Amino acid sequence: MAVFTSMSDRFLTWDNMQNVTRSASTVVIVGSAVTLVMIARGLDLSVGSVLAACGVMAAFLAAGGMNLWLSYLLAICLGAAFGAFNGALVVGFKVTPIIATLGTLNIARGMAYLISPSAILVGLPDDWSLIGTSTVYGLPIPVLIAVVVALFFGWLLGRTVFGRHVYAIGGNEEAARLSGVNVNRVLFRVYLMSGVATGLGAVVLTSRLGSGDPNIGIGFEFEVIVAVILGGTSLAGGQGRIAGTVIGALIVVFLGNGLNLIGVEPFWQYVAQGVALIAAVILDRLARQERAEANTREIIELEIGHDGITNVEKTTVEETI
Amino acid sequence: MVNEVQDSIGPSSMRDSVIVREPILEVQSVSKRYPGVLALDEVNLAVFPGEVHCWIGENGAGKSTLIKILAGAASSDSGTILVSGRIVNLTSPHVAQQKGLSFIFQELSVVNGLSVADNILLGNEISNGTAIRVKASEMRAKELLTRIGFGYLNPSRKVSGLSTAEKQAVMVARALNLDARVIFMDETTASLDRDETVQLFSVIQSLKSEGRSIVFVSHRLQEVKHIADTVTVFKDGRVVGTYATNDVSVSEMVRLMVGRDIEHAFPAKDREFGEVLMQATSLSSAKVRDVQLCVRSGKIIGVAGLVGSGRTELLRVLFGLDPVTVGELEIVGQSRRLRNCREAMGLGIGLVPEDRRGQGIVGMRSVEENITLTWTLQNRHRSWKRDSVKLARNFVESLRIRTPSIGKQMELLSGGNQQKGIVARWLAVRPRILLLDEPTKGIDVGAKAEMYQLIDKLAREGMAVVVVSSDLPELLGLADEIAVMREGQFMGILPGSCSEEEVMRLAMGHIPSVEVVA
Repeated sequence: MAVFTSMSDRFLTWDNMQNVTRSASTVVIVGSAVTLVMIARGLDLSVGSVLAACGVMAAFLAAGGMNLWLSYLLAICLGAAFGAFNGALVVGFKVTPIIATLGTLNIARGMAYLISPSAILVGLPDDWSLIGTSTVYGLPIPVLIAVVVALFFGWLLGRTVFGRHVYAIGGNEEAARLSGVNVNRVLFRVYLMSGVATGLGAVVLTSRLGSGDPNIGIGFEFEVIVAVILGGTSLAGGQGRIAGTVIGALIVVFLGNGLNLIGVEPFWQYVAQGVALIAAVILDRLARQERAEANTREIIELEIGHDGITNVEKTTVEETI
Repeated sequence: MVNEVQDSIGPSSMRDSVIVREPILEVQSVSKRYPGVLALDEVNLAVFPGEVHCWIGENGAGKSTLIKILAGAASSDSGTILVSGRIVNLTSPHVAQQKGLSFIFQELSVVNGLSVADNILLGNEISNGTAIRVKASEMRAKELLTRIGFGYLNPSRKVSGLSTAEKQAVMVARALNLDARVIFMDETTASLDRDETVQLFSVIQSLKSEGRSIVFVSHRLQEVKHIADTVTVFKDGRVVGTYATNDVSVSEMVRLMVGRDIEHAFPAKDREFGEVLMQATSLSSAKVRDVQLCVRSGKIIGVAGLVGSGRTELLRVLFGLDPVTVGELEIVGQSRRLRNCREAMGLGIGLVPEDRRGQGIVGMRSVEENITLTWTLQNRHRSWKRDSVKLARNFVESLRIRTPSIGKQMELLSGGNQQKGIVARWLAVRPRILLLDEPTKGIDVGAKAEMYQLIDKLAREGMAVVVVSSDLPELLGLADEIAVMREGQFMGILPGSCSEEEVMRLAMGHIPSVEVVA
């Protein structure tokens, strides 16, 4: 970040910050839900296309004369439907998450184009861009929504029994099942939430862009996954936090914006994101290896202590019999 | 112990008039620790050329771990391995192969889509540089197969159509092609029927006559007695001893495998039985048949049988994990068809699974989360989190779970403490019937004694307990009744005062008598 600040005097301006956090808000909204999916050892690749389908849907309905808020709501419902579809594939038909959501990725993109082959600009109501562009006490509404969503999912993960079960399933699905956790129901809900959050993200994004464009969100799933992994969610499941994902999302967006401002070609931004993802995964792996080694050492120390106690108790057992 | 080893190897080698006294493979004080368990503890043993050396021991005794290390699939923490008197560093399966060690596992690593010849020469193809020379390959394969008595197999045939024994022969031929000096067979007879076992034994004989050594791991002690020259007994990650097969009887092998050092730690069996909580009448599932059980409050029922005899599957039916096909399961006076384990839990049944790491603990999560996992299903009130912490603290104290704090990751605890944590998970929801699958597997002696005391205490408080264990003295010491399983069949109930021999007779039945070959 220091590099970007020194290289472009526009990077650290209030305008740019507002701009960046606004674009980060969609990543945070969707990424928070995807964090749950990935903690539960799942994956959702469909978010980018679902984002487009929901956005176009909202614009299509609103341009057709439907009440703006109702069309937003129906767009979120469409997201929920895609989430439920993913959940049903993974839970009901035991399709691996990567394939199930890859299929949905294409289905949703196709549907976006079927609703409208090109961006819907004409006929949108005047207050279409209200959510996306206005501010409350100087804070952009998308940012506020992102904060609320992140807090909600943070609460869900850290403070509720549901969150506990998400961690338990990601940590050891079989153990969770044998302990009575309704694994299928939890997993289904996690995918459902991912769909709902994507629908909400679509509303925020299309409102900000001022159009319903079936081309948005290409590569969005990539940004989200990079954000989640940079945020420390373990690929192996069972570990991760929403706060990490928020930071990860900011890093991803700042990286893109910074490179943009210092005049790096957009194509290089893909390269940078790819490198960031791979670096994050390698770091995650190294950290886990180190932790595993540290664990082995720790167990040895713990057990030396134990043996002492165990021996004492063993003799008392013998004495009492 | 040391004397025993030397004494026993002498006569064994002499008997087979093998004069070479230099071991082909030597394992010297090899140790291996996995998180929570010491899998190998200073293991020493030697394999001599031309001998059939059997490794026996309970599950988790360390045989498989040692094989993994020798195969280069795992590394030891300490110790030395010598092949032909030279120290080797078995860093990968390839290195192990080069040193003349070959491995045949129960899950055969043949490539089903390839031909017999292709499988045998896999990785060592006969070629003219680029293309495989099919004729030469098939001739070579034929020659190798003939040497072990499987000359009738057509080398161009696809492996997928072969029987298990024939696939094993293909693996042996592959080992011969690599000129393996020691061939390991890890429970290869477990999936063979009687005739195939006889076939495999003739393969072993021909390998032996070529001066190669065979390390044979089996739970079928009659087989061991029949085929082995030398027997090494593993127990709790240690080698109990190496013996000439002629010097030990099958019952002595059992005694050495199981050990008796914890016998004195069993609680008295003066518990009072209460009401019938669960009754199984001619209960069958896809995996078990004719189960007759009467589970009563205050009673401990032990389930005995060999590995794979259907003991775990019996618990799975009772816990609603496997559907009932025939028969009736009555729980607290009402006939039930359990559709999943949540229904069983709703009726007050809990299960502590055998595979602690795979099915029990959530290793990367905290001790607290592990203990209250099931409890949280019924307790979602406002202050659940505070109560969860309190509950976990109470169990850590009352069950003496040794952990620096309840926030510690579960995988950092020793096996015994992890096990207590899983038991606590159930105690937190106060089940009426507790099913325990190998509750003392892989935990140290002191922790075992504590587990016995705990099970006894629970029974005295009115819980019904069903315990599966491979440790026979443990079952006899603990249980009021012993149910015996064999090959999925429920063989009957013996009183808790019966002898080990009585149980074993039911559990082993008539072993396909390999004496036929002799």
